[in-house]
This record gives sequence, structure tokens and C-alpha cells, in this order.
Amino acid sequence: MTRPDHAPVGGDFGASADAGLCEDLARASLALARRFSAGGTMWCISPSSPFHAHHVAVEFVHPVIMGKRALPAVVVPAGADLVATLRATVRPGDMVVAIAGAGESDVSRAMRRGPAWGAETVWIGAGPRPADGAADHVLWLDVDDPLVASELFVRMYHLLWELTHVCFEHTGLLRPDTCDEEVCITCSDEGRTAEVISVGGLGDALVRTAEGREHIDTTLIDPPCPGDLVLVHAGAAIATLEKTSLEEDRR
Amino acid sequence: MSRESTDFLYPFIEGDEDDAPSLLADLATSAGAKWDQSSRLRLETLHLLDAQLGEVAAVMARCFEGGGQLFAFGNGGSATDADDVAQLFTSPPWGEPLPARSLVTDHAVLSALSNDIGFDVVFSRQLEAHGRPGDIALGLSTSGNSENLLRAFAQAARRGVRTVGLSGYDGGRMADCEELEHCLVVRSDSVHRIQETQAAVVHALWAAVQAEYRSEASHENASHEGAA
Repeated sequence: MTRPDHAPVGGDFGASADAGLCEDLARASLALARRFSAGGTMWCISPSSPFHAHHVAVEFVHPVIMGKRALPAVVVPAGADLVATLRATVRPGDMVVAIAGAGESDVSRAMRRGPAWGAETVWIGAGPRPADGAADHVLWLDVDDPLVASELFVRMYHLLWELTHVCFEHTGLLRPDTCDEEVCITCSDEGRTAEVISVGGLGDALVRTAEGREHIDTTLIDPPCPGDLVLVHAGAAIATLEKTSLEEDRR
Repeated sequence: MSRESTDFLYPFIEGDEDDAPSLLADLATSAGAKWDQSSRLRLETLHLLDAQLGEVAAVMARCFEGGGQLFAFGNGGSATDADDVAQLFTSPPWGEPLPARSLVTDHAVLSALSNDIGFDVVFSRQLEAHGRPGDIALGLSTSGNSENLLRAFAQAARRGVRTVGLSGYDGGRMADCEELEHCLVVRSDSVHRIQETQAAVVHALWAAVQAEYRSEASHENASHEGAA
């Protein structure tokens, strides 16, 4: 340490790759490659450090390596109502990539809606982890120094880009219907996450799921509000996953 | 063009296997190798640039103490680094907030200049408007060859604005730019690895400025006390 008083110079931060993180990066990259191949758009969000979202987007749209294809990646502008903007623009098959702390509630609410919107979610962050299942891919660093973490985020999304482009060479593995998971939600009649669009007067509601809009029965749960997340099974809401009103979105 | 080669990035991943677990294992191995490579470059660079970072930080700290402000600029990923610089100096996780601005954030200014004159002047023209003697122009590039940065450094020099550049490879044209006083070079030939280490260099520079700025201030306090 030549300059111990000048953090964060030197040190062993992230010196050696974490095997689990590398596996997570690999899985996320294959998922992104599949979504891009099927025509999906990547939405990039990082409300507290907007430059990260811009960096991810420019990386995919205009790669630094000549000859690499331009991919649709978009930044949700800083200052926009994150959840409302994504709700209006995300299409089934899209991706949402966040660089944010576990405590950023707008990001957490957006990630949680991924399954209802049909979006694959990737959450990059450091420090205290979000709850299990908070996103499809949680790429997390055990690093406290915010500047070192920020440097390693750049490394992580560069690797995501590089690995995604490697996956494009393996066309046999890019079919969107490829299922490698032990349990595939879309292939079975498991509960599906839905976001309530509007509520009818007779214990029914119009909801949005990855498969589109549908009317469901809501008599088994407390009366829902627009914006709530519910679990749908066989045409009925069987649980409330998140109680949020659209009014709260517009705060 | 349906197949693009990334063999030079990942030389040991072969062809067309349709076995996802084996592809995933190869990808994870590659990611680990790249990660370690980036870590090594980061450490080597911070050691190599240690003395130069100290010099630049001293210059910048004096500018800030004299009421100067920092202008950061770059293209593409480096534009996002310029935003990072502005955010870090003005809203630091610790230490003194210092006046800094990114010259890539105002789309009205950027599009007006690009449309009317050309992208080569987007930073120099803004420095012409805002730059004062004792300010700092910090330009970031991975190639060191961006025309709009070179023009910005020339404009800055004309206005008495101190100039600092971050570059990659062997420094590119920035290394030979007479108007650029300090060129911090991340010696690598991978744009991604350069950018990752430039983020660390920027953070180290910020930390060094903070240390220098405080020490100047306490030096001032000490001399006031001595005089009293």
C-alpha cells in the first residue's frame, strides 16, 4: 500500500473472481442472449447512479468492438417515474437490468413486476443483498466501499456484454423456449405473478401477466387495487404478493 | 455475417455445441479469467500512476481552493465516466463536495453544436463559454485519439484552464498533445479493461484531491494560528 490514506487505492478488492458470481454472470448472459435473439429490448435503470445505466445501454447499442451487432438497449431517464415508465413501455420478452442497492424501493418494485410484465430481470449491486427471488438474476458483490463497488459494476456489465455476444455464436442454445430449469413456470400450471390493471365490481379484476391481459376472480383475496401484485392460479388470485396503489406510484 | 467471431475474446470456446451446461461452464471460466486480468491491470496501473496522481491532485486541489471548477467530458462509455466524475465530486460518499460538471449531459447544447458546426467542437465550444483561468478540464478517452477532446484541451489551454486527460493503449494522440498538461495512461489494448481501470483511476484521483484539499485547508488554518 503506497498510499494507505488515499482510499480506495490498491487493496485486494475484487482481486480474485468469485466462482459463484462468474456462474451467475454466465447464466444471466445466456438469458439475455436468448431474449435479444427473440427480439427483446433491454431497459437499463440505475436511479442513484444514472451513469451506469447509460454505460450499459451504450455498450449494447454501439459496442466498442467493431463488427459486433447493435442491440436494443434503452435507459429509463433519471427523474422519470421508474415503475410507471417501465409499466407503460416494457413488452413481454424484454429485459430489465438494474444497477442499484437492495434498499432502492422503486428498483425493487420494478424487479418484482418482471414476471407480470414478461420481463427477465437482472439486478447488479453490492452490500446487503435483496431478498431471495427479488430478480431472475441477482449479481451481487460482497464489497462495502461504494467506489470500489462502482468500479466492479463496470467490470460486471462489460462481462455481461462479452458473454452475451459469445452466446450468439451458439445458435442452438438461443431458442426462447429452451428450458434448462428443473421447474419451468411457463410450462406447468404453477402460480403466475400478475399486476392488477383495474378492478371490477363483482370480485373480478383485469390483470397483466407475462402471457397478456386476462380477467381473474379475486374473491379469495382481500379486494385488490390497481398496481397490486397477485398470484394467479387457474383463473383466480390465490394470494396478494404486493399491496401498492397506482396513486403511490404517482407520488 | 450471421456468425460473428469472438474467438479473440474467448479463444478456448469452440464452435456450435448445443449443451447449455457446458457453455455456461466455459462462460464462467472465461469471466473469471477476465475478472482476474482486470484486477491485475487495476493494481498495476494504480501503482504506476501513483506519483503522477499525486501531482495532478495537488494541481486540482489548488484550483478548487482558488474557486475553480471541474469540467469532465468524453464520448460513449467515457461520457458516462464524465458523469461519474461530476457526481462523485459534487455528491461524494465522504469528504468535501467540490464544484464539477459533466459537459455531456445537456442534449440541447450537444445537438445544437453538432447540428450547426460538428461534433468535434462539442466540448471546446462549451469550455469557450464556461472556462475561466483556474478551472480544470478533465477529458476521458480509451483511445486517446478523440478529436473533440484534443480540441477541448487546446481551447482550455488558451483560457488558462488546467488540463488533465485519461487515455489508454499507449496514450494515443493525447500523449503527444502539447496543450494537455497531465496525461494519465492505462496501458492495455482492451477497451473494456482500460475503461474498468480508468474508473479506478478517477476514483483514486478524487480521493487524492480530497486528501490534498483537506491538507491545504489545514495548512492554512495552521499558518493563521501561527500568525495569531
